[in-house]
Amino acid sequence: MVSEDVLRTHLQELRRGTVVVASLVALRRPDYGYALLQRLTDHGFPVDANTLYPLLRRLEDQGLLTSEWNTEESRPRKFYRTSDEGESMLNRLLDDLAAVQTSITGLIQGVDR
Amino acid sequence: MNTLTDRYLAATLRSVPTQRRDEIATELRASIEDMIDDRTGGGADPTVAEREVLTELGNPDVLAARYADRRLQLIGPTYYLLWLRLLKLLLSFIPALVGTVVTVVEAAEGEGFGAIGPGIVAAMQVAVQITFWLTLTFAIIERTQTAVDVPEWTVDQLPDAPVRRGVPLADTIASVIMLLLTIAYLPFQHYHSWVRGTDGENIPILDPALWSFWLPALIVVLALSVIFEIVKYRMARWTWTLFGIRALLNLAFAVPLAWLALSDRLLNPALAERLSWVAEADNRDSLGLAIAVGAAAIVVWDLVDTARKTRQQTSA
Repeated sequence: MVSEDVLRTHLQELRRGTVVVASLVALRRPDYGYALLQRLTDHGFPVDANTLYPLLRRLEDQGLLTSEWNTEESRPRKFYRTSDEGESMLNRLLDDLAAVQTSITGLIQGVDR
Repeated sequence: MNTLTDRYLAATLRSVPTQRRDEIATELRASIEDMIDDRTGGGADPTVAEREVLTELGNPDVLAARYADRRLQLIGPTYYLLWLRLLKLLLSFIPALVGTVVTVVEAAEGEGFGAIGPGIVAAMQVAVQITFWLTLTFAIIERTQTAVDVPEWTVDQLPDAPVRRGVPLADTIASVIMLLLTIAYLPFQHYHSWVRGTDGENIPILDPALWSFWLPALIVVLALSVIFEIVKYRMARWTWTLFGIRALLNLAFAVPLAWLALSDRLLNPALAERLSWVAEADNRDSLGLAIAVGAAAIVVWDLVDTARKTRQQTSA
């Protein structure tokens, strides 16, 4: 029986990079921090608020997201959107993710036989 | 107003770079309020909801570090090994060197054995200083993200695979310590034996007359034995030459000792005044004989044991 701690660590490792991919995909439609968090959670990407908010900042600094303040609603919100640069990087990342999936499938079939 | 949220924001923003502080504050406050609203909408008490949300966001210092992209480590994996290697290298000789110099200087000023204390203190201070400044330097390099060219590892750096040593390090260390303690005991007993004279003055165990020649000679033999142990460790295995030298050293120590003991010249005659048992000639003879036989037995046992090891290791 694998210990819960070990399992959790490996799952964390596995999920780490996917948060960036998921955020870039989700932000093709502009959104603000908490709404994005909820959308990601609804789609099976549970992410901690204290990870996501700083991450959005970092992606913005790297030019992968653009942002715009919306002051029309009850409280001012910063809306993020995937930039052109972010889009092209996202495509590279998605290709790689697909490649990983293909490789794993191939490996599983190869070993099974 | 000084709500929990205000305090949380203040604590987080304290260590976030100034030029982005206001923007992060507005955004983070809105996010926190969104999260609270979401919970109160589900029927939760606002105060409870606020506590829960802030607990979920966690330690503000950690959050701030993530915003600032700051490392939560003193020295990271990039520099840790280099730091460790330099630290070991510097600590391996500088404190000992300084300690020795201080001891020698103090001794030259007439401190005698009292010079060892300041020497040890100086060595420890130097060790602490080295550790502190080296660690500080690396912590700064880590933080400023200065690109330091850490030399690339190459296969040429591989150390030789450890040979199976016929002479274990632990044995060598134990022998050297025993020898040093014996050397130290000879002058020590002269000043601090457990025997006191009638006026409370110290009575050495060994005859002070021996200091004119025999005790210094024995100390020289013991010092040579220390050197022998180190050479033996460097050579890593017993050879018949080493065996011969070992035999000579053993005899050079045991023969004078036994001879002095048998001719009743080893113990301080002044002891007899305090210990009546020693005053009787018969007892002195038996004690001398016991010392001589003991010394001979140890030498024989050691030589047999060494010969056995030498034969094993030279035939292999």
